[in-house]
Amino acid sequence: MADVKAEPHTGAVKFSMLIAGAVFALMMVIGLVMRAAQGNLIELEAPFFYQLLSVHGAGMVGTAGLSGAAVMWYFVGRYVPLSARMYWAFIALFLLGVVFILTAIFIGRYGGGWTFLFPLPAISGEAWEPWAAALFMLGYVSIGVGFLLYHLAVGYPIMKHYGGFARALGWHVGFGGADPADAPPPAIVAAAAVTIFNTIGIIVGAAVLVASLVHLLVPGFAVDALLAKNMIFFFGHVFINASIYMAVIAVYEIVPEYTGRPWKTSRVFVLAWTAILLFVMAVYPHHLLQDVVMPPWALVLGQVVSYLSGIPLLAVTAFSLCVYLHGSKMRWDLASSLLVLAVAGWSVGTVPAIIDGMISVNKIMHNTQWVPGHFHIYLLLGVVAMSFGFMAWLVRGTKASESGMSGLDRMAFGAYALGAAGFALMFLISGAMSVPRRWAVHLPEWVLQDRIATAFAVLVVVSTLVFVIKYAVRLGRAPG
Amino acid sequence: MQSTVLVITLVLMIAVALPFVKAVRSAGADGAPGNAEPRRNKLIWALVAAGVVITVASLREWPHAIAAGDDVVQVNATGGQWYWEIDTPEIPVGRTVVFNLHTKDVNHGFGVVNSSGRLLFQTQAMPGYVNKVQYVFDEPGDYRVLCLEFCGVAHHDMIDEFTVVAN
Ligand code: HEM
Ligand SMILES: [Cu+2]
Ligand SMILES: [Cu+2]
Repeated sequence: MADVKAEPHTGAVKFSMLIAGAVFALMMVIGLVMRAAQGNLIELEAPFFYQLLSVHGAGMVGTAGLSGAAVMWYFVGRYVPLSARMYWAFIALFLLGVVFILTAIFIGRYGGGWTFLFPLPAISGEAWEPWAAALFMLGYVSIGVGFLLYHLAVGYPIMKHYGGFARALGWHVGFGGADPADAPPPAIVAAAAVTIFNTIGIIVGAAVLVASLVHLLVPGFAVDALLAKNMIFFFGHVFINASIYMAVIAVYEIVPEYTGRPWKTSRVFVLAWTAILLFVMAVYPHHLLQDVVMPPWALVLGQVVSYLSGIPLLAVTAFSLCVYLHGSKMRWDLASSLLVLAVAGWSVGTVPAIIDGMISVNKIMHNTQWVPGHFHIYLLLGVVAMSFGFMAWLVRGTKASESGMSGLDRMAFGAYALGAAGFALMFLISGAMSVPRRWAVHLPEWVLQDRIATAFAVLVVVSTLVFVIKYAVRLGRAPG
Repeated sequence: MQSTVLVITLVLMIAVALPFVKAVRSAGADGAPGNAEPRRNKLIWALVAAGVVITVASLREWPHAIAAGDDVVQVNATGGQWYWEIDTPEIPVGRTVVFNLHTKDVNHGFGVVNSSGRLLFQTQAMPGYVNKVQYVFDEPGDYRVLCLEFCGVAHHDMIDEFTVVAN
């Protein structure tokens, strides 16, 4: 298949990653403040803590989505022509949503959480006004519409170029026995799958947002709380997963430059991505394992698919990376180190996730800090490490003196990996000690882990500043 | 049980990390990659087989089973912003207790911890539904209820207590 080698929209992508890097850093500082407050190192009013929790959750997840989208846009642009105008429309809607959300939280004092549960936004006990909740939701709507545009702008050209989604997903190779050489490149297979499931997730999210908005305006309009919970978790789960499955394209496209071995679409790769497409959507009941009014089959599905979701990651992406690395002429610099760390971190992070996905374990771990424990592993050491790796690669030096890792790179990389691992480990330990998540105030017997975690978080914040400032400085030097 | 879960988790996390460490170490040293596909297939089938065993072992007894009958102690608990109402302040030891969870307003989480702070079980309280959870207390003493679903600005103040008494 002849591939169009269109120039990706480097400027727009570099700009997006600059925003993403800055917001990641800012939200990390907010996370640090929350952790220090739990450790009684500083004092925060409880309502303000919950406002920070809401901005941290929404801000981090949104930014992960933005950086995943930028990665995917950049690499899909290598194979099919994309419309820069659509990308800017996406960015504009995204930023408009950010303004709404920040206004809702910091002026309207909204503190209902990023995956708010119906009917909390409307029943805040006077902590915030209905308009603030409505504005927060409108922020989501704006970002959601932006993402729908984005996926249309990626999905349609892929469909046209490869002759439909089935071929873009590589089904002729996976199921039809066609030669793997005829398959689309990994970036396209991944982009096609993410486009399908994220579009569905956002539409479900939009439906529950609209229902909640109507409820805010017309309180007599009741929504079934269980249905709303299902929808919000379906949306939330799919969206955060989409961000990491978009960002992993950076691994497929960049790592080969370092190993000298191309990342090829094989039959098992196609089957893995088809499995991912199904699993990402089918697994969300693992958020509802303690809602015993759910049909039992749905909870069993949640447990079983949680486990199955680990297989394409471990046996395909992680396994392939290890094979590609093995005995290769790997060159290590900040970009390649972060990308390899990201796949490792993501893989390791699935362990506590899968274990918490077991109904019997979930009964004693659900909504404890075990949960932020597992997801901070694959966010900090997964999707964010991929984003930082991609950023380092975008501004990699071409001079010999700039290849390889500087002393500062080495220190920042080590501090980041150590800080993130230690920070997440403290959450896991707290979870095993039954410390609830989302508590502004901690009992004295929980404070030790909170304080140790705060120290690890400082390492993460400092190393992040190194990555982001270095990126900004290099961008300024070589406009592109 | 929590410490067992933590130890198993840490061991498995290390087990997943090791192949990466090995691959990174071997990168840069020249060597032709042998055919890895048979090993990959083995890994997939091993993971599937382990999954079947884990699934059957962990679900054979349904974790949310609820007993019926006259000798079951029924307790009604209701969450509201930001308090609990429990209609049975003294719960007998050694009997099967079923908690019926209600809410007056938003979602709450009913988590019960023992005197050393260890979470024993939990379930959700949600508008329009009654969630049931069953437990047998082995030891008399004071037990605490913590809210385990975010329910607004005083979520962390939703703490209550009940006593388990010897018959
Ligand atoms: C230095 C880095 C970070 C620090 C110090 C930090 C800190 C925290 C803290 C203290 C919480 C609340 C824990 C609790 O429930 O008790 C939290 C929750 C959360 N964090 Fe982070 N975090 C960091 C990085 C990240 C990153 C990189 C992401 C995503 C890309 C992220 C996403 C989230 C989400 C989604 C929640 C849940 C919010 C909620 O419960 O509503 N965090 N974080
Ligand atoms: Cu999930
Ligand atoms: Cu609560």
